[in-house]
Amino acid sequence: MTLSTPILWVVFPLIIAAVVLIFHNRMIFGIVVTSTAALGLALLATFFPEDQTLVLGSLVVTFEESLAILGRSITLTYNIMPFISFIFAITGLWTLISGIPGTPKFFRPISLAITALLTAALGVEPFLYAALFIHIAVLASLPMLSPEGKKPHPGILRYLILQTLALPLILLAGWLLSGVEALPSDSPLVVQSAIILGLGFGFWLGVFPFHSWLPMVSQHAHPTVVSHLMFLIPSTIFVFSLNFFDRYTFLRTLHNLESTLSFLGVLMIFLGGIWTAIQDNLKRAFGFTILTEMGFTLLALSLSSQGGLSWMLMLFPGRALGFWLWGYTMSLIEKHNGSMEFKAVQGFAWRYPLLSSGLLLAQLTIAGLPLLAVFPIKLTILTAVLRNGTPLGIWGFIGSLGLFLFTIRLLAVFIKPNNTSNRKTWAVSEKTHEYLPILIMVLILVILGLFPNMIENLTSTLTTFPQLQ
Amino acid sequence: MQVLSTIAFIFITITSMVNLILREWRINAIALAFQYLAAFVLVTLSWPVGMAVIKLIVGWMATTAIAITSLRHRQNNPTTESVASLLFRGLAGLLVILVIFILAPRLQESIFPALDLVIVQGGLMLLGMSLMQLGTSADPYLNIISLLSLLAGFEIIHAALERSTLLTGMLAVVNLGLALAGVYFISQSDAEDGSKEKAP
Repeated sequence: MTLSTPILWVVFPLIIAAVVLIFHNRMIFGIVVTSTAALGLALLATFFPEDQTLVLGSLVVTFEESLAILGRSITLTYNIMPFISFIFAITGLWTLISGIPGTPKFFRPISLAITALLTAALGVEPFLYAALFIHIAVLASLPMLSPEGKKPHPGILRYLILQTLALPLILLAGWLLSGVEALPSDSPLVVQSAIILGLGFGFWLGVFPFHSWLPMVSQHAHPTVVSHLMFLIPSTIFVFSLNFFDRYTFLRTLHNLESTLSFLGVLMIFLGGIWTAIQDNLKRAFGFTILTEMGFTLLALSLSSQGGLSWMLMLFPGRALGFWLWGYTMSLIEKHNGSMEFKAVQGFAWRYPLLSSGLLLAQLTIAGLPLLAVFPIKLTILTAVLRNGTPLGIWGFIGSLGLFLFTIRLLAVFIKPNNTSNRKTWAVSEKTHEYLPILIMVLILVILGLFPNMIENLTSTLTTFPQLQ
Repeated sequence: MQVLSTIAFIFITITSMVNLILREWRINAIALAFQYLAAFVLVTLSWPVGMAVIKLIVGWMATTAIAITSLRHRQNNPTTESVASLLFRGLAGLLVILVIFILAPRLQESIFPALDLVIVQGGLMLLGMSLMQLGTSADPYLNIISLLSLLAGFEIIHAALERSTLLTGMLAVVNLGLALAGVYFISQSDAEDGSKEKAP
């Protein structure tokens, strides 16, 4: 029996998503089917044999890497499997918690479809067509990000506009880059192509100053959706961006590219951190936190000559779990409390101590607290920047402190007694099925913080890009 | 063909100016439909008619989708605007036209030497006008129309650079996806307005 990897990781999840979409009102069915499909595909990608032959008793399944579509192809090689496994696993994790009231009913099928589209984006040949797959994924995300029954807020329109502007820029940059390969490196066309490409990625990733939609979308959309999409789409775009560095030598050697990337990265960390620290709305603050995280990824990318690409990939698992915990706890807090303003959550910890602790730990994980998952990688990145002798490392460090400052402010608000409530004692109001996932996730975050080598497997994704080894 | 492409370019300029200045959804939808017709003529300079017609059909489908949704959901009372705002957008549009006429020959010479000037001018005109329109409106309907125009402008230029069936198909999906996003946004706006009216 012969199967192709794109059929398994692109076509199959799309079919599952279509089936779940048809039965979108059956919540349990949707959760079981999408989670099983996503986690099953993640497991299969993890244990995918290098010889691409799977023996199941008397059944021998041989996998082909390519699937031809309209004269082009989607190729998913063994090398890219760790990342595919990762994105399906996190989608599975998120669909598991999609039963929380308020989560858009289309979240389950659409998140699986988006994961399939992003997988296709990673394997499509010519690789530039990935821009179209990514844009279709962005369009699919709109119904989830714009709350049902409410007028679309300006943030969602900005998101759509900026993401759509990125598409022509990336396609045009790709065409230009294929032409400038033969030109000398001092040709003005080289710099022009790089600027167009940079603008395209800037729009896509919400790089400063194109970030204004991030806090707006985060404030208005459901936390489960925001935390999932704002991790999944940018992370895949970052991995996709490696194609450009891998294929075009002059981009790797482009004068000032590393310093520009590191400057932008630190600027985003600094501004994101400061903006987060002064927010009074929990959901809006997360939007700025995402900006900081994008900054760290850019910073890691800029350190590619010192091993930054591995750090970039190693940032992903800890960040994903932090975002998951944030999304989960915020969804439950919103369900119990309604408003997410500081004034409204005053004294919340007295009633829901475990939910509050979960949110604080999620914030601290993302901020990079020692002993938690992201800390070893962020420390390595900041140390490398400081070692380079530029003042950028200090600004990055100050930006990171902003996230801690916000968490401390939040802690103070959570434990400040609420004047309207008569309760003066701690009480655990959460149900077991609400706090158990928090405890498990905190345990995982601590284990990953203590043993960061456990996630090193993800760095083998880099073997897909031979020039970047 | 030269005459036809020049007429198409003039059509693109007029329809994009109409969409920039006027804020009446019916007129905007009609202008968008004519814009796609003009874009189709420019695409036929690079592609066979059989392939170029896909862009026309997809464009008209997208226009129909958002126009029908507007017909069902938008109120009939036209928005009243001051003459000053119309004048401002008109002047902004004239500025864009001026910039395109100055910029297009230089861009064609330095980046797109193999392309006809009218293709570069037509594509850039749609890109520039739609960017200006995006900057002057926060209405979901107009934003979607601007984005569709923007993509049409890009497709005119890109069609001359690359011919691929998969690319054409995927750009068609993107255009229809944008139109569906527009349908969703317009109906959501109406749902909230409706619920506000019902509230005591």
